[in-house]
Amino acid sequence: MDCPDCKEKLDRYVDRELSSTEVLELQLHLEGCPDCSDQYEFQAHLKRLVKHSCDCDSAPAAFREKLRQILT
Amino acid sequence: MAESPARTAFAEEALTHLDTLYRGALRLTRDPDQAQDLVQEAYLRALRYQHSYQAGTNMKAWLFAIMRNLFWDRFKGSRKEDVSLDDVGEFVLYEKLRDEGARPEADVLDKLAASEVVEAVEKLPPLHREVVLLVDVEGFSYKDAAQALGVPIGTVMSRLHRARQQLQKSLYDYALESGIVRGSNNNQVHE
Repeated sequence: MDCPDCKEKLDRYVDRELSSTEVLELQLHLEGCPDCSDQYEFQAHLKRLVKHSCDCDSAPAAFREKLRQILT
Repeated sequence: MAESPARTAFAEEALTHLDTLYRGALRLTRDPDQAQDLVQEAYLRALRYQHSYQAGTNMKAWLFAIMRNLFWDRFKGSRKEDVSLDDVGEFVLYEKLRDEGARPEADVLDKLAASEVVEAVEKLPPLHREVVLLVDVEGFSYKDAAQALGVPIGTVMSRLHRARQQLQKSLYDYALESGIVRGSNNNQVHE
């Protein structure tokens, strides 16, 4: 695997959407390529940042109770 | 009137996914009251069409599909109102920052406030925002996101790719405006 192949697959690697064979090939490349490895760390960090920034809202307790009353 | 045990059990299971639906509705409508109305209507519709849910399949994706379809029908009127993404080309934030001599993680990601990230997500057109919500925020697989959105997996991947490019461009613009990074004239992003 070369750098363009690796970068093309990084999104799917971060999203855990590669096959096990592709994962092994990509990990082998990352071990020997600091630039791709840094880019992978950056993309994984960015994904975590988006998740943690957006998933802090939860349904208000009163709304949850109201729904439970309506639905059950 | 007492509900049947089967209906109650179904409702209880569906309510375990309430936070996911509420967050999705909140990001789509950008209004807590509208989000609650949307989620309540989605749950009522889910119960009405309970028979169409196949036990053992992904209930969260099924519920999200009901909620987002209601959003498009009720809150947006027509899918045609969705605004296309600006064509930012191949914008890779990591490469942009590295080329400018910044340390992409330490100098930029660590300094971005959660509120700025939320704003960047909410600036995405809804068709692209919802795929980021499903895959990046709620951890859906591409397959489950495709089920929730009613599109092929390839469409999920292409929307996600474009959404991430736009998101990275928005975060870069914010980092420039707020002085987190200093773009050089030679490396300004071309619109």
